[in-house]
Amino acid sequence: MGLFGDVAGMLSFLQFAPQQDLISIVTSLIWIVFMMIFLLYPTFSQRLQLGYILRDLERRLNRLKAMRDEVRARTLETLKKYAEKGVDVGRELDNLLLSFMIEPESMDPYGVVYKLEHIARSWEDTFEEHVKAICSKADRERAKTLTNLVDVARGMDYLYRVVRHYYLLGKKTSNVYIVLQVQMLIPQLMEIAEAYRQASYAFMHGQPIGDGVGVLAAAKLVENMEKKTYEIAKDTIVHETSFEGRKLFVLRAAGPGGAVGRPADGLLKILESEGDRVKAIIMIDAGLKLEGEETGKVVEGIGAAIGGLGVEKFKIEEASKKRNIPLYAFVIYQSIGEAITPMKESIAKAADEVVERVKKLITSKVEEGFSVIVAGIGNTVGIGVT
Amino acid sequence: MFSQFRAGKPVPKPMTYLKCLECGTINSRPFKDGDYVFKIVEEKCPKCGSNKMKIIGIYVKEPQKKQAQSRIVSRRA
Repeated sequence: MGLFGDVAGMLSFLQFAPQQDLISIVTSLIWIVFMMIFLLYPTFSQRLQLGYILRDLERRLNRLKAMRDEVRARTLETLKKYAEKGVDVGRELDNLLLSFMIEPESMDPYGVVYKLEHIARSWEDTFEEHVKAICSKADRERAKTLTNLVDVARGMDYLYRVVRHYYLLGKKTSNVYIVLQVQMLIPQLMEIAEAYRQASYAFMHGQPIGDGVGVLAAAKLVENMEKKTYEIAKDTIVHETSFEGRKLFVLRAAGPGGAVGRPADGLLKILESEGDRVKAIIMIDAGLKLEGEETGKVVEGIGAAIGGLGVEKFKIEEASKKRNIPLYAFVIYQSIGEAITPMKESIAKAADEVVERVKKLITSKVEEGFSVIVAGIGNTVGIGVT
Repeated sequence: MFSQFRAGKPVPKPMTYLKCLECGTINSRPFKDGDYVFKIVEEKCPKCGSNKMKIIGIYVKEPQKKQAQSRIVSRRA
């Protein structure tokens, strides 16, 4: 190459190389630093992920808190309308929001259903009496709806406290797996929270909700029939009538206040009085649809269509099995949100379809001269008695 | 009072559907506190002028479904 080549090389190095080298050296240094961080601090990536998830959860938790506060404020405002002066409604409401029920021990499962029934009913009665004591100016129907409203606020408050617990626990312990689980569930939880928010409006005004479609169908079934109506169990009424030569017992919760009644108790009493004459039990209830399914679609099946803790379902199944009476079920599809928010048109219209299908089932499955029980299951808020 | 939060979607407002006990005309109006299904109310029928009407439904009117739907969703849905 010779001297000239060396000098030229040197010149070009002096002109361009310093810039190129500086960039590459800095880049290499950054990479080395990153590699060292990852080598010496293997949980660094998890830390980054944890920080990102915690920020996301914090944002959603703030939204959840705003919704909780909104529902609480609305409940408080409504309760104050029916409370006497001098009652510390805010403090009483906070006591109700934190009230709880301890489920019975199931190590020995024998008789657990009846223990659960006893505890659940004691808790429900105490809760209702507490609301009535606060809202002494409210009539019976309004007091029932107010109890539902406080129950919605309690559900919303509990949801917020549980999410906050896991957020803080994950933050405190820097456990990415705890916060990851909450992050995976949070979209569904936010949907439930939104449903609670809308449900509080419905209960505040006494508007029918999607869950009431079973009761609505039962009421429409006997709307223009001559009937005898009486209370058969707590908050539960029965319409006794006849339909094309069959004796018809239509069981439902009493409205228009928000109540679900005790359909199993009512059903057992009818079975006791009617004996072997009952040839079918037909239950109508709102059912949880799968994503992509149509709201208000009516489907037919076999079994006890009733939700809740399972006590009512157990008792109805036991009674029907003992007497060998078939259980027919009509379910009206809706989402969990639609079930507790103001009733949609498609759900309300489904009640008419159910009525026709129930009539058809009665004539095809029950012979003339025998009896049939139709139970409309659900919350009666905003649905009166025909 | 609650506008400061702006926490969620707008709450759907149901309509009350009333049927005249004289001529059977059905009409609707926004829901009012105290309304419930099967309640007999003293409101004037817009057609015959009778003042006895029965609430036959309280529900949220849904928008008409679009014709073109996702192929994933069933056609009957």
